Amino acid sequence: MRTLLSATFIIGFICVNAQDTVKVAGNLTPDQLAEQDYNYGLAALKKNDCSAAVDLFSKSLAAKPNFDKALANRAIAYTHLKKHAEAVKDINDAIKINPQNPETYFNKGLIYFELNQKDSENVALDNCLKLKADHAEAAYYKGILLYETSDFDKAIEFFSKAISSNSNYAYAYNDRGSAKRAKNDNAGAIADYEKAISIDGSLTFIHNNLGSAYRLNKNYPKAIEAYTKAIQANPAYLTALINRGATQFENNNLKAAQADFEEVLKKDPNNAGAYNNLSSIAIKNKDYKKGKDMAARSIQLDEKNGPAYYNRGIARQMLHEEEGSCADWKKALELGVEGAKAFINSSCD
Amino acid sequence: MKNNIYLFAFLTFSFFSFAQSVEFEKDNFPGKKEELREAKKKLDIGIDSYVQGRKEFDDFKKNYVSETKILPVSHYDYQKAGFTFFRNALSPLTDAQRFNPKNARLNYMLGFVWFISDPSNAETLKYLETAYSLDPKVEPDLAYWLAWANHLNSKWDEAIKYYQLHLTFLQQKAKSNALDIDDANKKIAECNQGKKYSTNPERVFVDNLGSSVNTSYPEYGPSITADEETIIFTARRDNSTGLKRDENDNGFYEDVYISNKKNGKWQPSVQLSKNVNTENHDAAAGLSPDGSKLYVYRHSGKDGGDLYESTLFGADWEPPVHMNKNINTKYHESSVSVNGDGHRIYFVSDKESGLGDRDIYFSDMDVKGEWGAAKNIGPEINTKYAEEAVFMHPDGVTLYFSSKGHNNMGGYDIFKSTFVNGKWSAPENLGYPINGPDDDVFFVVSGSGSRAYFASAKQGGFGEKDIYKITFLGAEKNPLLNSQDQLIAMRANPVSNLKTENAVEVKMAKVTILKGVVTDAKTNQPLEALIELIDNDKNQVIATFKSNSATGKYLVTLPSGKNYGIAVKKDSYLFHSENFNLPEGADYQEFNKDVALKKIEIGSVIVLRNIFFDFDKATLRPESANELERLIKLLNDNPGIKIELGSHTDSKGSDEYNMKLSDNRSKSVVDYLINKGISSSRLVAKGYGETKPIDTNDTDAGRQNNRRTEFKILEK
Repeated sequence: MRTLLSATFIIGFICVNAQDTVKVAGNLTPDQLAEQDYNYGLAALKKNDCSAAVDLFSKSLAAKPNFDKALANRAIAYTHLKKHAEAVKDINDAIKINPQNPETYFNKGLIYFELNQKDSENVALDNCLKLKADHAEAAYYKGILLYETSDFDKAIEFFSKAISSNSNYAYAYNDRGSAKRAKNDNAGAIADYEKAISIDGSLTFIHNNLGSAYRLNKNYPKAIEAYTKAIQANPAYLTALINRGATQFENNNLKAAQADFEEVLKKDPNNAGAYNNLSSIAIKNKDYKKGKDMAARSIQLDEKNGPAYYNRGIARQMLHEEEGSCADWKKALELGVEGAKAFINSSCD
Repeated sequence: MKNNIYLFAFLTFSFFSFAQSVEFEKDNFPGKKEELREAKKKLDIGIDSYVQGRKEFDDFKKNYVSETKILPVSHYDYQKAGFTFFRNALSPLTDAQRFNPKNARLNYMLGFVWFISDPSNAETLKYLETAYSLDPKVEPDLAYWLAWANHLNSKWDEAIKYYQLHLTFLQQKAKSNALDIDDANKKIAECNQGKKYSTNPERVFVDNLGSSVNTSYPEYGPSITADEETIIFTARRDNSTGLKRDENDNGFYEDVYISNKKNGKWQPSVQLSKNVNTENHDAAAGLSPDGSKLYVYRHSGKDGGDLYESTLFGADWEPPVHMNKNINTKYHESSVSVNGDGHRIYFVSDKESGLGDRDIYFSDMDVKGEWGAAKNIGPEINTKYAEEAVFMHPDGVTLYFSSKGHNNMGGYDIFKSTFVNGKWSAPENLGYPINGPDDDVFFVVSGSGSRAYFASAKQGGFGEKDIYKITFLGAEKNPLLNSQDQLIAMRANPVSNLKTENAVEVKMAKVTILKGVVTDAKTNQPLEALIELIDNDKNQVIATFKSNSATGKYLVTLPSGKNYGIAVKKDSYLFHSENFNLPEGADYQEFNKDVALKKIEIGSVIVLRNIFFDFDKATLRPESANELERLIKLLNDNPGIKIELGSHTDSKGSDEYNMKLSDNRSKSVVDYLINKGISSSRLVAKGYGETKPIDTNDTDAGRQNNRRTEFKILEK
């Protein structure tokens, strides 16, 4: 920043004295211009003006083609602009110029993360960690990668590494909690979620995750308490409201569940999940017509809502619409609702 | 004669009846003498028929028990014994009861008549309950029939209560009543089963197949192809072949009918041709899974009922062929099912070698294509009670059958058993409402296993028995909720975690500001002068600019670490040249260089700062060219002037040496100018050695100032 101010000072100085005869004899060298444009590009990137950032980094690189930092940052700008091919090229060029910068490998990893190219992401993160073993974020993302390949033990190991490099890494605690949850270690999950909340209580999604962990333990009062905290912290956080309703449903408090789902719809009249959950309540109350209608509305709002197809299938079956119910269950299965398979096997041709 | 005995017993018993029971006596109906007489007349007629029917019934029962060593499990087992008499009794007894509804025995008789005709009918229960309320002991078996009527109406607790009462009565003579006690206990067990199953009913839809299949006449015994595209069943319709009625029950003789499905809907059913249907009973007994073989039950009156096989040829069925002696015996054979590959047949027979009443047998096809010796399917399936209506699912391992001898809830129930590891699993009651307290038989399941077909006389049908479809709904399905978790914190927005490289420090050249004021040397007035900036290293003019006309100020930014020269020029003035080195230093430094320009006047002296010689020599260095060019221009612009070129040294070296060096250097400049076309007459070369210092010789800077070349205006 100091350098930027210096540059501005010189320009300003010249401008202030414009009435005198002045001449900038000391034109910036190409390197200086490159660095100056790089800094301007960085400022644009920080202001999320990614197109301008790309232009400025490109100007910088025109003056100084081997400017690895400009390449690295232009890669970020391209990533924000979803120009991933360009981003990958830039980040690789930056690494060629300076193969010893762990951050460049980290960024490369994240670009591949964004592209969901897990193998390439893994290699990049490994390279980052080779250069900087205590790179908390690289360890964290490596943990995510492992989590998403269902290697929860390894994921926990890497989240733990991230935590040992940064003891206030709330996200790492959250994600480790999720990995523990996936291993049915709900008690461990609850402990991690609570630790994450103690680090940053404003992260409503972690309150929500805590609620869900309690819900899995069928500790409905604690689940409802956690969801309620999330809702209180952010009344617009409908996820927690939906989940609290679902917990009330599982706790056989259909009235409270209905109130939560209706509250969601007041705030978001197009919330497909809330409609589907109202469908669940109607089915539970054996009001199959309403169950079908609510599920249909949910599907109308989100045609990829597998549970809504599943529920509409149940309602249709009970309304003696066997063909429709089978079609719905097949769609639900296609959308990943495994539970529909048993229905198809037992009730459909 | 016997009828009179029953009548006498009735009247005698009535005399001693409970007070609640109202007898047909004039004191009980004052002022209704005529009506009483008419009612008694009807009563007599009804009793007469009833007593005959009852005798026939009791005789049937006695024979049945004698043959089977058990009491009838199903009311159908009574085969409507005495039905004709009971039918004749019904109307006069009903008239008499209308006059006197409070006679216990009359209500008993009506209840019994109704039981034989239609036991689950509300009338049955109504009359029996009335009888019981008027006099529970009016007949010793009242509690039994009342229990059974409740049983058939799924009134489990009431049924158990009356069975228990009856049991108490029977146990007074337990030895002679052993079979009755077994029967009562079995029925109590059935009620308990019924209670259990009906509390947790199976989730099914039961749908009438509709008017294409069902009519007001009885339809039953369905068989389906595995793909459910064809259904074959038995019906007793008014278009029965030969249009004859069975004298036993006055119903039309059985024929076999078929219906095919088109676009998911059953088409109107039609009779099979006379190849299959005769003027006698022809009933569908089974169909192969592929629909190519039809099994027909026929009863000639001598053979006890036998099985026939018909093959579909083109659009018609060939005349059924009597199945061989391994299948048919002199006993009753009925109900056939063939397994998927057509090499094993299951059928029902009541031949003596069985485990009880009717049993299920199987027979394998031999190499000649003939059915081999029949084998009893075994005690896991067959009981001492009757088994009937066998159906092997196309999967080849799941057997459906009806039985009266497992954990039933009344009459025949439908069971399922699976053949696993060479054994039949324990038969599983298909539960309520597939099974009920009445007979449940002829149950066939679709190839998919998700639907089944059976016949029932349930209310709401087209009349008599109809064929129904069962859709199995499976266990209650819990709806799925939408819920969400953001399990992975950064999954949603990984890009936000990208690490930007930091800002760089722009490597600016060390900048020096050179500034000053150009003035007239004499008047100090600011002058607008032309200033040339020379990169001495490259011997290039790198910038040309003017000082401000009003202030005489100028300012220039210069990268440090270089050797620069400036020349300030203005018409009528001698130019001013300056040579300076800007050393590498701080990022930013300022040099102030004020320039006082001298007018072109005789005697004016100007130091030529940008004339350079090789060290200790008089050889001009190339970077002197700019300064010399300025001098040439000055001489050309002012052709009248004559100048002296004077050269000076510092004090280092001897005077003589310095004098000679300076003399040679001034001559070098003069020679350069002459070579550039300046007349030698306008030039005077003079060496001053160290004689005219302008600064101290004690310092480097002072000595540098003293080392100089000047020119002086000699003439103008």
